[in-house]
Formats: sequence, structure tokens, C-alpha cells
Amino acid sequence: MNTPVLHLEGVSRIHGSGELAVHALREVSFEAYAGELVAVMGPSGSGKSTLLTLAGGLDEPTSGRVVVEGTDLTAAGAGGRARLRRTAIGYVFQDFNLIPALTAAENVSLPLELDGAPSRAARAAAATALDELGIGDLADRFPDEMSGGQQQRVAIARAIVGQRRLILADEPTGALDSVTGEDILRLLRARCDAGAAGVLVTHEPRHAAWADRVVYLRDGVVLDDEDAGETVGARR
Amino acid sequence: MRRWLTGWRVSLRLARRDLARHRGRAIIALVMVTLPVLAVVGADVLMQTAKVSATEGMDRRLGTVATARVEILDTLTGVVQAPDPLNGLGSGEPLSRPTSVGDIEGVIGHRTMLPMPTQTTEVVRTPHGKETMVGTQLDASAPLARGLFRLESGRWPATPDEVVVNKAARDRGVGNTLTAVQADGTETTREVVGTVADATVRSAAIVVGLPGSLPVLDDAGPSQAWLVDGPPISWSQLERLNALGVTVTDRQIATHPGDYPDPLQYSSSDSGTTMQVVALIVVMALIEVVLLAGPAFAVGARKQQRSIALLVASGGTPAQARRVILAGGVVLGAIAAVVGVVGGIGAAWLLQPLVQRFSGDWLGPFDVPWPHLLAVAAFGLLSALTACVVPAWIASRQDVVAVLAGRRGDPKPGRAFPVLGVVLFAVGILMAFLGAGGHGELTVAWSAVVCVLGMVLLVPVVVSWVALVAGRFPLAIRFAARDAVRHRTRTTPAVAAVAATVAGVVALGIGTSSDERENRETYQPSLVMGDASVTPSYSYVSVDDGPTDWSQVEDVVRDRVPGARITEVAGVAQPVSGDSWTDVQFRDPAAATAAVDEGQGEISPGTWGSTLGSDVLVSDGGRLPPLVTAADPGGDVARALRSGRAVVFSSDRSKAALERVTVEVQPTDDEGQPVDPHSVDVPATVLYRAEDAATPVRAILPPALAQRAGIDAAVVGLDVEQPHLSKTAQKDLDAALQDLATPATVYVERGYEADPMARIVQWVLAALGAILMLGGTLTASFLALSDARPDLATLQAVGAAPRTRRAVAAAYTFVVGFVGAVLGMLVGFVPGLAITWPLTAESYADGRGPYLEVPWLMIAVVVLGLPVLTALVVGLFTRSRLPMATRIG
Ligand SMILES: Nc1ncnc2c1ncn2[C@@H]1O[C@H](COP(=O)(O)OP(=O)(O)O)[C@@H](O)[C@H]1O
Ligand SMILES: [Mg+2]
Repeated sequence: MNTPVLHLEGVSRIHGSGELAVHALREVSFEAYAGELVAVMGPSGSGKSTLLTLAGGLDEPTSGRVVVEGTDLTAAGAGGRARLRRTAIGYVFQDFNLIPALTAAENVSLPLELDGAPSRAARAAAATALDELGIGDLADRFPDEMSGGQQQRVAIARAIVGQRRLILADEPTGALDSVTGEDILRLLRARCDAGAAGVLVTHEPRHAAWADRVVYLRDGVVLDDEDAGETVGARR
Repeated sequence: MRRWLTGWRVSLRLARRDLARHRGRAIIALVMVTLPVLAVVGADVLMQTAKVSATEGMDRRLGTVATARVEILDTLTGVVQAPDPLNGLGSGEPLSRPTSVGDIEGVIGHRTMLPMPTQTTEVVRTPHGKETMVGTQLDASAPLARGLFRLESGRWPATPDEVVVNKAARDRGVGNTLTAVQADGTETTREVVGTVADATVRSAAIVVGLPGSLPVLDDAGPSQAWLVDGPPISWSQLERLNALGVTVTDRQIATHPGDYPDPLQYSSSDSGTTMQVVALIVVMALIEVVLLAGPAFAVGARKQQRSIALLVASGGTPAQARRVILAGGVVLGAIAAVVGVVGGIGAAWLLQPLVQRFSGDWLGPFDVPWPHLLAVAAFGLLSALTACVVPAWIASRQDVVAVLAGRRGDPKPGRAFPVLGVVLFAVGILMAFLGAGGHGELTVAWSAVVCVLGMVLLVPVVVSWVALVAGRFPLAIRFAARDAVRHRTRTTPAVAAVAATVAGVVALGIGTSSDERENRETYQPSLVMGDASVTPSYSYVSVDDGPTDWSQVEDVVRDRVPGARITEVAGVAQPVSGDSWTDVQFRDPAAATAAVDEGQGEISPGTWGSTLGSDVLVSDGGRLPPLVTAADPGGDVARALRSGRAVVFSSDRSKAALERVTVEVQPTDDEGQPVDPHSVDVPATVLYRAEDAATPVRAILPPALAQRAGIDAAVVGLDVEQPHLSKTAQKDLDAALQDLATPATVYVERGYEADPMARIVQWVLAALGAILMLGGTLTASFLALSDARPDLATLQAVGAAPRTRRAVAAAYTFVVGFVGAVLGMLVGFVPGLAITWPLTAESYADGRGPYLEVPWLMIAVVVLGLPVLTALVVGLFTRSRLPMATRIG
């Protein structure tokens, strides 16, 4: 395969210091390639979310390197990381993903507008993204006029709008019923099949089944594939 | 650049939508910014309307047609005038002969000249008695006079037997005829043929007639002045007229003073100070508005925490995150500016008739000073923007990961700010010291601003102390205090707003109370408290020029004050009317004659007033005015007088050793020329009296010595002991005394009475302070309650009684109000104490001071009373039940 879209190299993240120091991640190395959906699993507090925030440049590793689309996030600086989030990285959180004061279309076009795109172009791109996810008719609705599943679809549309190839999803189905949850995963899978790299944090083995690969975290450490295999079971 | 613009576009959209979604919060912020803008705009429009512009002023003084007004001053000297003679007039070279109309025509050519003498005082008989009115003798119907008067009904006077009056005169009871009193007391009657309105004066009674129709009570006769037509008078013509002793009010020149030299070089008022005062007021208002609007923006920013975190997760920069909050300020500020300006203009329009009713002059045309209003609108925008600077800054520094994980992401408070606060506060105290030490009121006022700014930075520290102490208090207070600390961004401006208000109230309170105390303690009674004196009164129309008929006066007094104890006071007789006068001075006989001319050696300089009719009395030591006896418990005065010695009061201690004084008597005749000055050395007792001690006279002479000095002694006034006259009764007595052939007037010593205007100002300030304080605490509490909804819901879910919510609300209100008030009181003391120095410092006049009075009662009401009251109000009106809310803000 070619170069990974996301590459973590010996990443550690320690919160606090001294006696209160919490090792959220220890020497984690990990990559995600275009067209691939990687599931990250592990018990609560194992460092899954931390891994995602580091991958998205919202937080900085205590040591190690995070490289997105060939750019070292630490070296890129705060401005560079923000630019990467506008152009390369898309986030989907568990819930309350959307800005309540903006319509679906405005939420989706937000990264483009923040990047200085003319509003007409941004709107057009947002409409395309919404159409691709089959929710073009929701464009002018506000978040509180949509169901949870619809909101997550809009969030995914926002994560892929523009030519973005890295989707980071932190338990995107956690607040949804199982049927809707499956829908969302199917969508993510489809986006990855269309060429994006996806990292999906989940604690449900059923959901992990949609992934190409599963990375298992415990106490901030990536477990060997064998150990993981015992827990996860079959790969798709 | 494009990113910058689109960034603002997104931010403005977010801000607009957020405000629309949270109307209550938006309205609070809006009101806090709009009201000051509205008030200032309204006041400014009214002031500009009331103010008569130079051009409007000329229309009022010259009418709408005349070119200029020229007036021959009968001083027999040339004059030097400012472009508008009202702004400055000096005298020039002496003239050899009086100037004539022909001389004026020699300069400006032959023109129509309509006589228009200066307005005079007329005494008119009305149903109420004799009253004074303003008289104008002018052919008001002439084309040149157009614009000076407006005929409202009837017709213009056609003969000198006819006059017109204005509505104010009609209101005083002038009907179809008008009885004017001549200088000699005789009365003439004129027919009133119409009602007019004067261009300027509204409330004063006015009579207008042709030249010669009204008595001229001034000895000098009517002034020689004319309205002229024709082309504008040039500056060189004006100078030639000035040389002839003629003043010129030319429309063109007077309205363009900058185009002409001002030969008098009158320096315009010190605009530097004015600018400083304006800057001071703007800065103080800005601070107050920012603090009052601050909590609403802080809560707004908190509510948008997640939106901003999402924005950052989508690639928004810190600047873009800040802009979301700042855009809220821009939107609200813009609305506030527009609403405030439009509302202010509307309010001024509505209030115009009310202001007119309180103004004696006609207001000018409705005047909207757009440049001012733009500045005020900008102020509104600026204050809204400033109010959200700190919330915006905090929003851009929040911990995005924490917020997205559902935790609070407030950044840690900076350690540098409290230090800066302490430094500012110290600088403020230093400035207050400097101001007290002679740099004046303005320095003290600026020190207040600096102190308040320093205090604002210290508020978070103080609030966190409160939370530490609160651990021992019941749940409600503990919860409120902790909540206050956790939500520093909204608590700090709320507490600071209250503190700034209280600081202002305390500082002004100490200042005015101390000033008041100085006035009270330096008040010099003219008589013993409660006593009255009756003295001859000047009258425009003297019925009888002779000496006052005291038996008649006493009869009137006895009639009104039964059983009154009346003392006739004798002294140096002074004529009531005319210019003749007898000046009496007391000098140290040892002083050199040369020094005497310089006014040195005077033992008892100046006049201490003559409430008793004269400040040099004549008495054999028998019955003395009560105030003299009251100030002389040892009986020194009576003893000296009985032994034939003069008693002279002096504020110069060194003179008290003198055994003899020189009495200099200098009568002047009606022309003011001295006649027969003479002096005589007499044995005397010089008594020391402090400058501000109550002594209404300078000296008392025994009759024999008065005779030796060639002084005409006579009764000069009556002292009426304790007449117990109400103010109305005093007015009635006065009216009766005025109606005598030799009119007199009554004065009643009522001690120090505070200026009612100052009282009103104090009350308005107190009310304003209370409103600001209530506004500050109530809005902060409202916001805190809506902000703390989830916490309160949790509290309720774990079984807290419904009234807990009320208690928490009341406790929060109290914490904000009380902490703010205590802080404000401490801060207010700094400029408050300092201002008493420049305000009440030792002065030449009283030799005492500074005075200090702290209005403890007012401070107690503000610091304790108001917070308790607002807490109770909030506790009463808070809904105790609350729909279950989710824990997500
Ligand atoms: N800001 C923080 N301060 C201190 N500890 C933190 C912070 N954020 C996360 N942690 C700790 O790091 C560990 C990993 O957290 P997280 O990545 O959220 O786990 P997961 O998402 O797998 O539940 C946990 O023990 C958590 O308590
Ligand atoms: Mg997690």
C-alpha cells in the first residue's frame, strides 16, 4: 500500500504530573490507510478518545509523532493543525455534533467557510455531501429539528466535505438505537470504500465487525493482534 | 483577507442566531447598552434644542430683517468690542463731544434707523400689587422689527397710549388696561391692544409700546440704540463706530467671530478642563456599561462553549473562535446604538414640551446634533464590544477536548491579573493623595477610575476568598458562593458593576456630605436664630424719598406679629435711594497716611453685611441687638459703650491692644463725589472676632462719639425677637411692608438651609446608584439561575426541597450584591476622602477645614440594606419548581 493517511509513531500522552500523572497512552504506534476502516476498541478509560484527539490535532502528544497526510502535527503548529482539520481531518463525536445555531447545510459547509471558501462554493459542496449521504432534503433544518441518526449523518457529511480523507469517529453510534447505529456504520464503511481512511472508536464488538482491522487498547497500550483476536473474534 | 471576511461572516451568523435563540439573555445585554445610549442621546438632543445657536440668537436679538443694531454708549469714550459686543466690551479713547446720529450716518451712510432702546424694568400695578415687568419701547410693527415679537391676538400699538403684553403678563392679571408706575410714584394708564410673544423670553412678563409709551425708571433715560437695514457693516466701519463710542451688533460679524480679530483677546473658557471632564464621564460610563452588560455576554459565551469547541474541531482558529463572541457584541452593540439613538431622539421629542415648561426662555428649533449622536452610537458599539472582550478571550482559550467530552473547559485564571490589580489600586491611591495635596478634583476623579479598574481585576480573588469562608455556611450560601467562583466570568463583572456603582455613590456621598458640612459650619448667621430684622427696602418707584417712617413700620409688624419684642437699631443713616453714601472706616492711628491710601491700617475692613440696616451702629450700651450680646457673654461691649468708648470688631488679633482708633468719615454726594471727608481719634475697645464668627456689625459707637465724628445717627432697622413667622407669613409681612409709603423688607434668620438644588442632585444620584445596583445584581442573579439550571435540577433530583432553589437564588443575589457593595465601599473611600481636601480645604474665607463627614447611614443602606432587599425580592419571585433539565449546558 501507499503512505498511510494517519500515522502514529510511539505516541505517549501523560495527563498531569508527579503522583497524579495519568498515562492515557503509552508508546502507541498505529496507522490508517486510504480506503481502510480501523476500529479502536477497549474498556472505558483505556485511552481511545485520547488517541482520536491526538490524531485530530486537538491535543498534543507528550512524546512521539502524529503524521496526517504526510504532515507532522507537532511541527505544523496550532495554525497548521487547525488548517489540517479544515482540509484533511473530519470528526464525528458520540452526540451533540452539530452547532445548534446553524442549519444542516451550514454545519456541513462550516470547515470550508472557515477556510475562506466563497459561500456559494461552500454551499454547493455541502449540498453534494448531504446528497451523497441521502439526506439532501434536510439541508435547511436546524439540529433540534432532526433525529439523532439524522444528526450523525450530517456530522459525517461535515467530516467528508471537501477533499478530506481522514474520518475520526468517537463512538458515533453510542447515542443511537441499534438499527440507526448500523445505518451510520454502513455509511462510514461506504465512505472508506470510496477512498477515505476511517478510525472508529467503539466498545461494541458487533460494530467492530464493519472494520477492516481492529486495534485493541488497554491502559493506554496497544495489545498484540493475538490478544485482540481472542476478544474480537472474526474479522470481516 | 477573504478568510478574514468569511470568518466574520460565519461568526456574525452564529452570533445572530444565538441571540435570536436566547432572547432573554440578549435583551438583558441589549437593555444595559441601549439605556445609557438612549439617555445620553435624549439629553444631548434636548440640550442642543434648548441651546440657541449663534444664528438663532441673532434672529432673536435683531429680528429676521435688520442688518445690525447700533447703540451709542453715553460714557463719552470710545469703545473696543468683540465681534459680538455681548462677549466683550472695553473702553477706548475719551471723546470731546457726545456722538450723534449724524456721526453714525457718516460711517455707514444714510440708512433706515428704527429706535430700539435696551429693555427696561417697569413697575406695573396688578391685582396682586406692584410687580416688575420687562419693558420694550419700539415700533414692533415696523418692517425692520420683524421677528422680534409675534402678534398672537389683537393688533400692534398705534399711539403711545397703547401697549401690547405677552401671555406671562396676561397671566399676572393684565387686562384691557395697564397701569404703569412712574419714577415719582404717579401712575399712568395705557390701553392693552394685543398679546404678543417675545422671540426669547417666555415666562417673564413683557410690555411693548411705542417709544415714549412707558415710564423710564432709570435716571439715565432710554438708551440710544437703533436697528439698521442695508448691507452688512464691515469690520473697518465697526472700528470707526467703536471709536465714536458706538457698539455694533452686526448679524454677519457676530455669527462669524472667527473671521474677525478679537481686540480684547478674551481667552475662551479653558476647554482643556472641559475635555477632561467629558473624557472622565465617558470612561466612567464605559466602565459601568461594560460591567453591567458583561455578565450577559459571559453567560452567552459559556452557553456557546460547545459550539465553539465544534468550530475549533472543524478547523476554526482561536481568532475565529473569539470572533463568534465578539460578533455577538457587534450585533448587540449595533442594535443598541440604532435603538438607543432613535429612541433617544424620540424621547427628546416627547420631552420637549416638558422641558419648555421648566424653561423661562423659548427653546430653539428641534435640533439633532448628528456628529454627537454618531459618537454616542459609537460609544454603544464600543461598550458592547468591550463587554465581550474577556468572554471572547476565555472562549478562545478553552480546553476543547474537555468541552467535547462534556466537561467544563474554562482556562485557569491568570496569576498576573490580581498583581496588576494591586498595582493599579496602589497607583489610584497615590493619585488620590496627589489630588488631595493640591492637584485638584480632576486628579481625584481619575484616581477613582484607576482604583475601580484595579478593583475589577481583584474581584475574582475576593470572590474565591468568599467561597473559602462559605464552607461553614448553610447549603444555599455555600452553593451560591461556590457557583459564583466556578462561574468567574459572569460573577466578576456583576460584582464589579455593583462595586463600581457603590464606589461612585460612596465617593460622591462623602464629597457632598463633607461639602454640606462645610457650608453648615461656616454659615454666618446675621441674627440670633429665629429672630427677624426689618430694614428699609429699595424701590424702583420711590413713593416717598424721605427717611423711613419707623412708627408705621412697627405698626405693620405688631399687627402681623402680636406681642413682638422689637428693638430699634440705631446706626449710620444711609439714604435708601440715590447715590449718596456715608463711608465709615476705622484705622490704627499709628498707621502712616501713605499706607492709609493703600487700605492698610484698617482695623475692620470690608462689610460684613447690614442685616440690621447698617454695619456701624450707634448705641449707649442699653439695648443691643441680641446677636451682639449673644457673642459677648462677658458684657465687654456694653461696658465699653457705657464708659463712652467705641467698640470696633477686628479679625486681626494684633489690633486688640489698641486704645484709640481713627474714625474716618467720608460722605459722597449723589454724583458719587466725596464731600467734606473728616476723621477723628476716639477712645476705643477693639474686640477680636474670628473671620467667620457671627458679628453682623463692624463697630458700635456711643452717641457722643458718633456726634463728634459728624455721623448722622438714626434708626436703621428693627430687630424682632422670635417672631415665629412661617415662610408664607414672612412673604405676607414683606408684601405689606412693601406697600408702605417708605417701603421696608423683612429678613428672618433660619440658620443654614441646604440648597434645594443640591438636595435634588443628591437624590437623583442616590436613585441612579440604587437602580444601577439593583440592575446589576438582579440581572446577574437571573443569568446565574438560568446558567445553574442543570445543577439545580440535580440538586432537586437528589431530594432537595423546592424552596432550596429560592434560597440558592436569594443567596446568589446576596453574595453578588454584598461582596460588590463592600468592595465598592472600600474603593469609594479612597477618592471620597481625597476629594474632601480640594472641596473643603482651608480657604481665605473661613480659615478652617478641610471638613469630613461620612454619610454612614447612606452607606449602611447601600452596603447592607440593598443586598438584603434584592436577595429577598429574588427569593420571593423565583419559581421554586423547575422542569427537569438535562445536564448539558
Ligand atoms: N484532561 C485529563 N486530565 C487527566 N486525566 C485525563 C484527562 N483526559 C483523559 N484522562 C484520563 O486518561 C485516560 C484515558 O481517557 P480516554 O482517552 O477518555 O479513555 P476512553 O475514551 O478510552 O474511555 C483515563 O484514565 C482518563 O481518566
Ligand atoms: Mg472515550
